[in-house]
Amino acid sequence: MQKLTVKKGYRFRMAGGPSSELVQLPAPAQVALLPERIAHIKPRLRVKKGDPVRIGSLLFEDKRNPSFKFLSPGGGTIRDIVFGPRRVIQSIVIDRQTEAEPEEAFPALKESALADVDRSQLTDQILNGGMWWVFRELPFRDLPAPDTVPPLIMVSLDAKEPFQAAPEVYLKEQEQLLAYGLKALNVLAPGKVVVFADDAEKELVLKTDRYLTHTVAGNYPSDDPGAVLYQLKTEAAQNRAWYVSGQDLLLLAHLLREGRYPTRRVVAVGGSAAPERRHYLTRLGAPLAQLVDLDRIDGSERFVVGGLFRGYASGREGFLGLYETALNVVPEGGQEEFLALFNPGMARHSYSRTFLSKFNPKRLVYNCNIHGDLRACIACMHCADVCPVDLLPQMIYKAVLAEEVEEYLEHGLLDCVECGLCSYVCPSKIELSRTFMTAKKEYAKERAGKSE
Amino acid sequence: MNMIRSFFESQRKHFQSEGALARLEPFYEAVERVFFGTGEVTRQAPHARDSLTVQRYMMLVIVMLLPCLFFGMYNVGLQSFKAAGQPLDFWPILLFGAKTVIPLVIISYLFGFGWEIVFATVRRHAISEGVFVTAMLFPLTLPPTTPWWQAALGISFGVILGKEVFGGTGRNFLNPALTGRAFLYFAYPIQMSGDAVWTAVYNSGNQAVDAVSAATPLAVATTAPATQSVEHALNTAGYDFSTLFLGLYPDSIGASSTLLCLIGAVVLIFIGVASYRIIIGDMLGVLAIGYALNLFAGEASAPYWSMNPFYHLLIGGSAFGIAYMSTDPVSAPDTHAARWIYGFFIGALTVLIRVFNPAFPEGIMLAILFMNVFAPLLDHMVIRLRIRRRIPNT
Repeated sequence: MQKLTVKKGYRFRMAGGPSSELVQLPAPAQVALLPERIAHIKPRLRVKKGDPVRIGSLLFEDKRNPSFKFLSPGGGTIRDIVFGPRRVIQSIVIDRQTEAEPEEAFPALKESALADVDRSQLTDQILNGGMWWVFRELPFRDLPAPDTVPPLIMVSLDAKEPFQAAPEVYLKEQEQLLAYGLKALNVLAPGKVVVFADDAEKELVLKTDRYLTHTVAGNYPSDDPGAVLYQLKTEAAQNRAWYVSGQDLLLLAHLLREGRYPTRRVVAVGGSAAPERRHYLTRLGAPLAQLVDLDRIDGSERFVVGGLFRGYASGREGFLGLYETALNVVPEGGQEEFLALFNPGMARHSYSRTFLSKFNPKRLVYNCNIHGDLRACIACMHCADVCPVDLLPQMIYKAVLAEEVEEYLEHGLLDCVECGLCSYVCPSKIELSRTFMTAKKEYAKERAGKSE
Repeated sequence: MNMIRSFFESQRKHFQSEGALARLEPFYEAVERVFFGTGEVTRQAPHARDSLTVQRYMMLVIVMLLPCLFFGMYNVGLQSFKAAGQPLDFWPILLFGAKTVIPLVIISYLFGFGWEIVFATVRRHAISEGVFVTAMLFPLTLPPTTPWWQAALGISFGVILGKEVFGGTGRNFLNPALTGRAFLYFAYPIQMSGDAVWTAVYNSGNQAVDAVSAATPLAVATTAPATQSVEHALNTAGYDFSTLFLGLYPDSIGASSTLLCLIGAVVLIFIGVASYRIIIGDMLGVLAIGYALNLFAGEASAPYWSMNPFYHLLIGGSAFGIAYMSTDPVSAPDTHAARWIYGFFIGALTVLIRVFNPAFPEGIMLAILFMNVFAPLLDHMVIRLRIRRRIPNT
C-alpha cells in the first residue's frame, strides 16, 4: 500500500455533520430517475407517461451511444415525465407498486466465474444491466467508451466533501460485495485498479487494507479521483483514467452477482439546518421528502442534493440524483447583515485569516450567502493556494475569458477536479469553478465533434 | 440600525434602473456596503462562499495605515514646533499636525473617490474598494508642505493614468498611489524635493518664515563627508538610532516610522493580506545589496557604501514602501516564486538608486514602479517553468 498526499485543499470546520447511525427507511411510494443530473448524456426516452415498468426495465438511452441504458429504479407505472426549459428531461417519476414489485432478471455471475469471464462479455453484461453509468472517464467525467481499455480504474472509498455518506457506514456488512466488485473491475482493466481511502480514517484503512492500493492524506478534495490521479500519474496517457465511487461499485457488484438491478442507497443527511443528521438506507432515486421531516424545518433552508460544493439545489419535492449519496439542508441566508464589514467574525467561516474565527475551535454554520459583490480579481492568490492540482485559477480564468484555448489547456485546465474550492475562497466572488466546468464541457463537445 | 436600513431602502429607488440617478448605482452600492453586507445568495455550486470580501481586505489595510496617519500628524507638528522653537506640548503639536495633514487626506479621498465614481459610472463597473487604500497611501507619502492643488493633481494622475485607463482595479500594472507620487516628484521637483519641503512652517505671528530647511536623514546620508561614517553624520545631525526607528525626523507625512511599518507588516502578514514573500524578499534585497556595498567599499568610495545595511531600512520611506506599497497584490506578480524575486529586486534597486544616483535621494518609489513593470515578465517566466513541470493534459 502506497501513501499519497494531496498537499493543498481545505479542511472545513463545518457544523452539521451526520452521525454514523444508519436508519432503514421503508421503500418510498415514488422513486425517480433524473436524466438532467447525468452530465453529458443526450437522453432518448423509451417510455411514456402511464407505462408499466419493472425494476430494471429501460427508461431511456443515450442518443450518443444507445448501449448506454438507464433503467428503472422502481416497479410500477410511470407517473410523470417532467420537462424543463428547452425540453430538458428533468425527471421520470415512477409510482411504485407496493406489493410484489415487478423486477427484470439479469444473468448472474458467481464470484468464482469472474476469473474466466472475458472482458467483452463482462462489458456487455454491465451495459445490458444498465450499470455503465457507474464508470466515468477523466477529465470530462463522461461515460467512457466500453471498448477502450482504461489506463487506470480509480475507486474512491472516501467522501470528504461536507457532507457525504461515510464509507464506514455504507461498507458495513458489504465487504464481500466490495471484494466482488473489485474483482470485476480487474477484468475490465487487469492490474490497473487503484483503490484508495483517506489515510486519517484508520479504522477504515485497517478494515479494507487488503483491497487498498493507496491511502491518501490531505483535506477536501483528496477523495476525488482527479486529485489523486494528479499525484499518481507519470505519463499523459493516464489522464483518461476511469473512476467509480465506492457506493456505485457496490451497486455494480450487486447487479453482476445477484442478477438483479440494484436499488439500495445509503444516503447521508447533514447540514446545520437538518432536523435529523444521520445516514439512511433507502432506494435509488428516493424522494427528498422521505429523508427530511418537512414539519420540522421552517422553510428558509436550502436543500442541496450532494455535497455543499458540488451538489445541486433542489425543491422539497425533488428526488435524489443517480450519483448522489447525500442531502444537505443548510440555511439559505440572504439577510443583509448590519456592519458586516467590521464584524470581528468570531463565527464567520473563512479560508483567510481575516476573521477571529481562526481562534474559534467550534464548528461553524455555513449558509448560502455570497457575502460580497462581484469585483475584479485582486490577485490575492487564495485560489491557487487551495487548488489541489496546482492550477493558477485566476490565470486560467483570464485565459478562458479571452478564449485562449491552447493557453488554458497548457495551464492544465483539464486537470481541474471541479471541487469548487476556488469559487469558495474568492474574495472577489468570481465564479471560477463554474467557468472552468463550462469551458471543459465546451472543449469536450468540440473534441467529440472533431472525432466524428 | 433600522433607521439606517430604512434610509438606504428609501434612497435605493433613485439608483435603480428607473431612478434619476441610475447611473450612479455603483456609488450607492459602495456606500451601502460600508453599513450592510450583501443579501445575495448563491445560485449554483459551491453553495457556500467565504466570508471574506474585497471590502474587508482593503479595509484591513486602511486600518493598519491609521497608526501611520496619526503618527504622521504628530510628527509633522513636532518637527514644525521644534523648528519654530515652540514648547513641545502634545496636544498643540497634534492639533497643528492634524491641520496640516487632514486637508491633504480629505483632498486625496475627494479626488480619488471622485474619479473612481466618474469612471465606474461611465464604464458601468462596480466601484472597487482599492481606491480607498490608494487615497490613504498617497497623502502619507507627500511632504507636509505639499500645496493642496498638487495633492489633487497627483491623486488624479495616479487614479486615472495609473489605474482607470487600464480598466480599473485589478487591471492596473502600476501602483496607483506611487504613480501619482512619482508624477508629482518629476513634475514639481521644487515642492517635492530638497531640504526645505519636509517641515511644515509654523508661523507664530511675529516672525514670518517662508520655509524651514532641515536635511532629511537621506540627504545627510548622501552628503556625509568622506572623513566620517554615515552613522556618525546622522548622529551629529540628531538622527540617532531610536529617532530613526521611531520616525521622529522630517520626512514625508506618514512614511517615516519604521516601527509602525514593522508592526503593520507583521499584522498584514499574520492576517494574510500582505504577501510575506514580497516583504521578506524586499528586506533581503536591501540587506544583501547593502552588505555587498560594504564589501566593495574602499578608501575612495563614498561613506554611503559602508553604511550598516540595516540603516537603509530605517531612513527614508523604504519601510513604508516595503510594508504597504510593494505588497499591492495587483501590481505585484501573482505567482509566489515571482514574488520572492520581485521583492528582492525592489530592495536591491532601492539601495542602488539611493547610493549611486544623487539626483534621487529616495529609491524605493522608483524601484517599486520599475519592478511593477517587470512583474508580468517574472510571472511569465515562473509560469513557463510550472507548465514544463506539469504532465500535459489535453
